[in-house]
Amino acid sequence: MSEQRRDRLPRISRRESLKWFGMVLAGNALTPYPVDAAASNVSADDHWPMLKLAPVTAPGYGQDPDLVAMTAGPWPRTLSTGELDIVRLVAGIVIPREGDVPSAAELQVEDVVDEWVSAPYEGQQRDRVPIVSLLVWLDAESERRFGHRFADVSDAQRVAIVDDIAWWDADAIYRRPVQAFDRLRSIIVAAFFCTPEGSSDLGYLGGKPIAGDYPGPTEAALHHLAGVLESLGLVAWVDPAAG
Amino acid sequence: MATGTPDVVVVGSGAGGAMAAYVLTKAGHRVLMLEAGRDYDPKTETPMFQESRDAPLLGASTSDKNFGYYDATVDGGWQVPGEPYTMSDGTEFLWWRSRMLGGRTNHWGRYSLRFSEHDFKGYTRDGLGADWPFDYDELAPWYDRTETLVGVCGANTGHPDMPDSSPGVLQPPPKARVPELLIAAAAQKLGIAAAPMHRAVLTRPLDDRAPCFWATPCGRGCSIGAAFQTTTSLLPLAKKTGLLTIRTDAMVSAVDVDAQGRVTAVRYVHRKTGKTESVSGRAVVLAASACESARILLNSRNERFPNGVANSSGQVGRNLMDSTGAGLGATIPALVGRPRYNEDGHTANHIFIPWWGHEQQVKGELDFPRGYHFEIGSGFGAPNAWTGAGVQGYGTALKQQVRESYGAHVYFALRGEMLPNRDCYMDIDDIVRDKWGIPVPRFHWRWADHELKQVAHGLTTMKALIETMGGEAPALPTPEEAIRKGGEIIHEVGTTRMGTSPKDSVTNPWGKAWDLRNLYVTDGGVFASNPHKNCTLTLMTLAMRNADHLAGELAKGVV
Repeated sequence: MSEQRRDRLPRISRRESLKWFGMVLAGNALTPYPVDAAASNVSADDHWPMLKLAPVTAPGYGQDPDLVAMTAGPWPRTLSTGELDIVRLVAGIVIPREGDVPSAAELQVEDVVDEWVSAPYEGQQRDRVPIVSLLVWLDAESERRFGHRFADVSDAQRVAIVDDIAWWDADAIYRRPVQAFDRLRSIIVAAFFCTPEGSSDLGYLGGKPIAGDYPGPTEAALHHLAGVLESLGLVAWVDPAAG
Repeated sequence: MATGTPDVVVVGSGAGGAMAAYVLTKAGHRVLMLEAGRDYDPKTETPMFQESRDAPLLGASTSDKNFGYYDATVDGGWQVPGEPYTMSDGTEFLWWRSRMLGGRTNHWGRYSLRFSEHDFKGYTRDGLGADWPFDYDELAPWYDRTETLVGVCGANTGHPDMPDSSPGVLQPPPKARVPELLIAAAAQKLGIAAAPMHRAVLTRPLDDRAPCFWATPCGRGCSIGAAFQTTTSLLPLAKKTGLLTIRTDAMVSAVDVDAQGRVTAVRYVHRKTGKTESVSGRAVVLAASACESARILLNSRNERFPNGVANSSGQVGRNLMDSTGAGLGATIPALVGRPRYNEDGHTANHIFIPWWGHEQQVKGELDFPRGYHFEIGSGFGAPNAWTGAGVQGYGTALKQQVRESYGAHVYFALRGEMLPNRDCYMDIDDIVRDKWGIPVPRFHWRWADHELKQVAHGLTTMKALIETMGGEAPALPTPEEAIRKGGEIIHEVGTTRMGTSPKDSVTNPWGKAWDLRNLYVTDGGVFASNPHKNCTLTLMTLAMRNADHLAGELAKGVV
């Protein structure tokens, strides 16, 4: 999204928010709709935007894509710059830098989120409305609590909001943000661990060709297994082909 | 490339068609192969070392690529655009197709377990379903030849449900990995023996195929030819004879039969031009898949054959069977945070749990007939779109959760034998046609109590295995909830079953249609029953044996 677009995003008071939350101004992909009737009854702490997004109608990659050459879905991306900024900030909280391992934000996982919510497939489209709604909600919640949008408050203030919606036993007033955050978090986490840095952090050691026979578990792995078997009262498997 | 009228027209280039073409061309017969899908070359088209991050949506499954972006399937999946199928009320059936040279062998699981003596004579044992028209001993030498040609790794164990191969036939199996060893130990405590899986993956060179290098998922296909698919093995070998011609994009619709019961032509629609063409040969081999071949026969109806050809028994399309499927998984606390190592192996089961209940069934201790086995899901897999699913919180604590649980989850997949029943069959929809104008199959399906009781037993056993490993099993679903849909395991067979009598079977013990003089079936349609051991090895073995028979008949001038 251009800076001009950013300027068009509503800067709203808490009171105004109920009116505005139903409206996302998002160019080609998102069409503003008025607040759902049900939203007018929500409490101040449960101001979930009732978005109605124009459906993604772009074609997918089809049933015979070039598996070797294609690296990203061909459909147009739909998140605005402002929305991507929020995703990036959330990504940095979900997976922060840890020593030499970069944060998810540093690894641009927001591109994967954008590809995901913009994809024309049913599974991804199920995630789109909750996630885009969450991005709107985060801005509004930040405005409500701190008087500024999510991008403009302190790290600690952002974390405070995320902390309220990051747990499955969170306060019931956060039910919908919690569910949406769960989906956004899943994509962020997967995208991070799929990067070379994330894969290394996870400890994935495969994907490398080995000449000769498969070497099997290391001594350390077998030693650990022996301890597991002992702790469970199990006897090591006798390979019927070994004798 | 062969020229002139072919001796044999083979319909389909997958496991059954390619094996038939290989045997026939090796015997000196000219073969014209018709394949509905496009040409396909695994050597240039396989995304061998691409990672999930290289794919759209981290490689996640979509309606275009049902098994994930990198699955080898071309122009197929549960649905093929313009090529629908229908279902009767109350039926849930899934029909996987691919439209590519090599068919479903390009992505299959490669599990290659011989049927045992029990499997060929189930009816004799329990009075259910149908016996095969021969016993294990008849097929044993053909299994040896097929395993040698295909390249199967595994080991002889003497397990009662796993007949030994002849010495020197199997290639060495890979070493078992940590979760598999734990599961095997847990099973052992329950009196259940685990065994090395047999898999059509080379661990030694064969022909111009390289052995496995222990990386890259086989479902993508295998550019080095280690994981068996007809496009890197049987088809190139058959081509080397100079007697095989392959025509792709040829969607067969029907066969023409003369008054003497001889197939005179195979009709097909060219998928690029839309034109209907026909070819003929001295013999025809249908190997288009169980349901496609039955569809062809049923759609070959005319005034003389109002119920389709080769169908005097009324059994074409009947006896449709799939494998039963169900699963249960859990995180095993003792595996949390275990030492890392390269656990790819050949990217599927190195060991598994074969069926252990023959004795119990003899004693009448089980409330269901036939058996099942467990395949195992586990390991330090490559990160993908679902890595970290199910975690909560955020920050370094979240990362630690993901790291610790990595490689600690195990999953059991039940694959069991289904018995044929009157409610499971396919016929032809009266109204719906595909975009080529060909009437489409209509499926009918209902699991019987046999399968539901089997799944209930399997769920209880999976739970016991998980608990023996110190895991907490999830609440068990009911069998009705747990059992996978018909067709979902992609082991559909039985629609042109073989037998000893034309009254209740479609083909004779050689896969030759009783009613026709020159039509053979070499796909899974000929199965008289569907033992739990994944069907492709036996399908290829039958194709080899029966194509060899056809080659002899051609040589003798009988066909």
